[in-house]
Amino acid sequence: MRLGIVRGHVILNPAVPAYRGKTLVVLEPVTMENLRARNGLGGGKSLVAIDELGAAKGQMVAFTEGREAANPFWPSAVPVDAYCSLIVDSINVQS
Amino acid sequence: MFLARIGGTVVAAVKHPTLGGCRFLLAQRLEADGSAAVEPIVVVDWLGAASGSTVMVSTDGDIARTRLGNTTPARMVVAGIVDSVQTPATVRQE
Repeated sequence: MRLGIVRGHVILNPAVPAYRGKTLVVLEPVTMENLRARNGLGGGKSLVAIDELGAAKGQMVAFTEGREAANPFWPSAVPVDAYCSLIVDSINVQS
Repeated sequence: MFLARIGGTVVAAVKHPTLGGCRFLLAQRLEADGSAAVEPIVVVDWLGAASGSTVMVSTDGDIARTRLGNTTPARMVVAGIVDSVQTPATVRQE
């Protein structure tokens, strides 16, 4: 999983049926430099992920990429390749 | 699979239901020269890796699926804690 900050939500209309009822968020991945600085910045190339946890704008999440991102919808085959797995409360970074 | 250095711990109350009770660690992927990747990653750990230690991370979801079930989104798992890395030029003790 990588870390990302929720920058917004995406509404699709129309969309393929597999996305019906699912929430899509725009994530900005976080670099180690920005994580250490605790400056609220991301720094990575943004992407869209499915969110079932209700992450709010500005919150940091850890997101799964690749085939495993579709696992929560098993056994359905869904076109999901990024999935918010957890909402970060705190990170203890060793210096 | 790749080598990574553990850089801290991650606390999350809200998570996918299959991830309850998992230990999440912050890690940085290591290049062959020992330098760390720009973006950190979050890995699941069942082996008790300490901060600062070098681990091997598996990016295949099978370890996680075996433990957490078919619906788990967990993918990157600490598959082993590194004792030493031997390359033709060096033997690096961790």
